[in-house]
Amino acid sequence: MTPETLANLANNALYSSMVVFTLAMLAFVAHLSARAPRRAQARASARTDALVAAGVGAAADGGTRDARDVARDRAGEPAPGSAAYGPESLRSRQWGSIGLTLTYLATLLLVGSVVLRGVAVARPPWGNMFEFATAAVAAVGVAYSVLARRNRWEWLGVFIVTPILLVLGLAVTVLYTEAHELMPALKSYWLAIHVTVAFLAVSLFTLGAAVGAVYLLRRRREVRPSARPGVIESLPSAAALERTAYSLNMGGFILWTFTLIAGSIWAKQAWGAYWQWDPKEVWTFVIWAVYAAYMHSRATAGVDARKSMYIALAGYAAVIINFTAVNLVSTFVGMHNYSGM
Amino acid sequence: MTSTDTRTPRRTTPEPQPPDLGVLGMLRWAWRQLTSMRTALFLLLLISVAAVPGSIFPQRNIDPGRVADYLTRHQSSGPWLDRLGFFDVFSSPWFSAIYLLLFISLIGCIVPRAKVHLKALRSRPPRAPARPERLEHHASLTTSAAPEQVLATAREVLASRRFRVHSHDAASVSAESGYLRETGNLVFHVALTGIIVGMAVGHLFGWRGDVIVPEGQKFASSISTYNTFSPGPWVNPARIPSFVLTVDKMQADFIQTPGKTFGQPRDFIAHTTVQARPGAAAVPEQISVNHPLSIDGADVFLLGNGYTPVITVRDAQGEVLYHDATPFLPQDQTYRSVGVVKVSALPAPKQLGLTGFFLPTAEPTFANGPASVFPDALDPELALSVWEGTLFPGGMPQSVYTLNTEAMKQVTKPDGSPVLVRLKPGQTYELPGDRGSVTFDSVKRFAGLSVRHDPGELIALVSAILTTAGLILALTLKRRRVFVRVRQADDPDGRAATVVSIGGLSKDSDAGLTAVIQAVHDRLAERTTAT
Repeated sequence: MTPETLANLANNALYSSMVVFTLAMLAFVAHLSARAPRRAQARASARTDALVAAGVGAAADGGTRDARDVARDRAGEPAPGSAAYGPESLRSRQWGSIGLTLTYLATLLLVGSVVLRGVAVARPPWGNMFEFATAAVAAVGVAYSVLARRNRWEWLGVFIVTPILLVLGLAVTVLYTEAHELMPALKSYWLAIHVTVAFLAVSLFTLGAAVGAVYLLRRRREVRPSARPGVIESLPSAAALERTAYSLNMGGFILWTFTLIAGSIWAKQAWGAYWQWDPKEVWTFVIWAVYAAYMHSRATAGVDARKSMYIALAGYAAVIINFTAVNLVSTFVGMHNYSGM
Repeated sequence: MTSTDTRTPRRTTPEPQPPDLGVLGMLRWAWRQLTSMRTALFLLLLISVAAVPGSIFPQRNIDPGRVADYLTRHQSSGPWLDRLGFFDVFSSPWFSAIYLLLFISLIGCIVPRAKVHLKALRSRPPRAPARPERLEHHASLTTSAAPEQVLATAREVLASRRFRVHSHDAASVSAESGYLRETGNLVFHVALTGIIVGMAVGHLFGWRGDVIVPEGQKFASSISTYNTFSPGPWVNPARIPSFVLTVDKMQADFIQTPGKTFGQPRDFIAHTTVQARPGAAAVPEQISVNHPLSIDGADVFLLGNGYTPVITVRDAQGEVLYHDATPFLPQDQTYRSVGVVKVSALPAPKQLGLTGFFLPTAEPTFANGPASVFPDALDPELALSVWEGTLFPGGMPQSVYTLNTEAMKQVTKPDGSPVLVRLKPGQTYELPGDRGSVTFDSVKRFAGLSVRHDPGELIALVSAILTTAGLILALTLKRRRVFVRVRQADDPDGRAATVVSIGGLSKDSDAGLTAVIQAVHDRLAERTTAT
């Protein structure tokens, strides 16, 4: 196969994965709505009432109770108050499972697309912004896929798959670059090491930020309970979410430390100095320092977990800036100019 | 405020009253403030914010040209930003102050913690509580096995899980693990200071020299032969290596297929011949991006390349006034390059200066000024303007790449329009007014080499690796204590039985501890009932 055919195949796999991710997102939305006990029940009973009214009209001489049951059977709705809603309900489990399976498939397609692109260009496929973006969200997809089933993270799915879709959408529209050869500075085995670990770190930071944001929502509801409990109440407790976010961010932080060191070693080879405060280096350091502050704040007596989480989210904002503005905005001109834009 | 977290609540220490403290007390108070976790946290956040301007404003250490450009474009704000150090963020007083405070705080934290940890390493696990089952993680069972047997098994299980085990009395076992967590924490923090030491050593004893070497020319390394040489303050000039390097060929390949990446570089390789010292055997070496050459304690990097048109200037009688491979510095992706020819062989007010562009693949019309369409030398052309007067007014030193036209006048044609010398290789231009001629003989590439020596980088590298190792230990290990206490009791049938209670403590939220307790429980249950 020619490189062009492979590159086309890679693009087709990418589009297919976007379709499957969209389906996964819908399944996760269904899963979340099935988790929320009362609201879904209220909606179900409202719908039943409507059907009852219709049923009564159709079978005017029939008993009301019978008509109601018939209508319910026809609509496939469970009886209000049954075990069909709530985090452990069959319905939520089914949708969660469907969402996860679709996510596995979409991630597989996306990883396949990245690999095909790599074969097409005969190098690690992260030489420009388009390739960075697709490879990074592929890493996020892989990290989520690996961790989700074991940790029962179906509820997190929608918060992961939606950003993945957004990034992929941007990648294929705005960032797309034809497959091409690498610039001399990128021709090094350190590209495979440094950038791969950076992607893994970013994927863990992404999961950590998603769980962290959910934690903040959940915690607010715990402090000020809502009169009508919904989806948020069906999620794991704030304390559990906080621990999960911490573990993810911790993993990301360790990998980011390695990214920074591997980058320095490569910088020494390519540019002659291991650290010279090029904008990418500045932001790599900023991210490191902010997450270090997060780790520190969590171990500091008297700093509450919510404030720590804000620091972690600020760190994630820096990750996003590092990935977007520093690559694309000319203010940050440095030596990492590989965006291909 | 209600808190649903299982974290330590805000500690309320009464504010110390300064008048009661005295000078020493004040100092101690200040020291404690500086070395507290909260201060470290604040400084970490502060340094990350302080670093940001270093990526937004052009920095002198990276590109002084862009700083100068910024200053000319921002006449009012520029000088103020400059005064506040925004163009030298990472050597500015405020940035230095933050990282110095951070490192003092770091050391102030390491020293006492190291003392505490050393003591903990030598000490035994603490005495088991009277009722371990009251701890957060716990389990209990009743068994027919004898108490000594139960405790022996418990010791064995815990030791195999790498707990440090000790019995303070005959009815209990205390165990502790995860000492490496604090060791890792300390290694991480000490190694961070190691990185700073490495950077400082590099700054003090390191040096770099940059030089442009045209193809076919020889470069003998010494302080005076570099175009720019920047030594650290404590560099011994006698230690500068004296290798000799000849650039035989500077190979530069560019993407020729049309498209978005047209004209992008593919490969830069300098084919050189190197003698480790004058008179030593000449060895062929290749230097390319990502593949520096190590020689005599220094590393030679290929950081740039460009063109050196060979230019000859003759006077009206045909006498050669200037003949040299003159480096022109590339300005953009197409290698439109600028350079200067200074004909100083002539007497002062009649000296000639030529300045302008070298275009590797010239766009022929010059409709938008001199431009190049491709970085390779496919259709090279020189476009120079000519100036006459005094090259070095006041004898001031100046850059070889710029022409100071303060005391010079542009040479014009008889009709008054300025002279523009446009030459292809092999062509000669006759200057008006009997000023002689300019010849563009040929074009060669040059290699932009940077020779560097950094004795601190090994310290920094080893420290960085230790940092990661320490971090992994400190973040992934858990400090755990497990206690087992046995009590004699009679079971309902009146036979002797042993009631075992197991309890565990952890410093952080620790889901794994339950598994450990469970494992101890299961082993005791299976082992002691089997016998």
